[in-house]
Amino acid sequence: MTRMNLTKEGRDASRLWMGRIGRLGLAAGVVAGLSACVSVAAPDRPIEINLNITIRQEVVVRLQRDAQELIQNNPGVF
Amino acid sequence: MTRFTKMLIAAGLGAALLAGGSAYAYVMQDAAAQLRATGQVGERFDGYLGVAGAGNAALRAQVDAVNIQRRAAYTQLASQRGATIEEVAAATACQLLATRVLPGQKYLLADGSWRTRNGNEPVPRPSHCG
Repeated sequence: MTRMNLTKEGRDASRLWMGRIGRLGLAAGVVAGLSACVSVAAPDRPIEINLNITIRQEVVVRLQRDAQELIQNNPGVF
Repeated sequence: MTRFTKMLIAAGLGAALLAGGSAYAYVMQDAAAQLRATGQVGERFDGYLGVAGAGNAALRAQVDAVNIQRRAAYTQLASQRGATIEEVAAATACQLLATRVLPGQKYLLADGSWRTRNGNEPVPRPSHCG
């Protein structure tokens, strides 16, 4: 009697876990599918304002001429 | 229609809108100047365009499209000069704030507040510009 009960529980438990694993796989598939869409739609988007960026002032000063050329060479972007 | 299908369609529509925005910015030869001229978009101290005030989704999409191109340009120059992307962007901001913000147009300084350039008064030079 006890053995029968144990066997039954074991079968139920494995079914339960198969169901869980199945749902987990489906969820992973959904997430993977969505992230693939997002990565195509939105590349690197610099929209956050970070007030704590560490910049070396002497480097910024040295880059002024390069920055000027960058602006002139990319009309529309600057 | 399942929820997943609806989500897929929504994602596809979003992608199409973004692609359209980028193409629009590409076609416009002077996208950045035209955006600044709206009075709703300004130059930020960090080298990117920003929306001053609430704006709208279409405006933000155009600003994002320009900023993506800016970041690509900054990244390339940074690798050539051994500087960080932020340093190149900050250096470019010095030039942009000094030369590209016209009277009546918006700019953002490091204190986080948007200002409007008053007449021919020069835009204050950020401290990182030296």
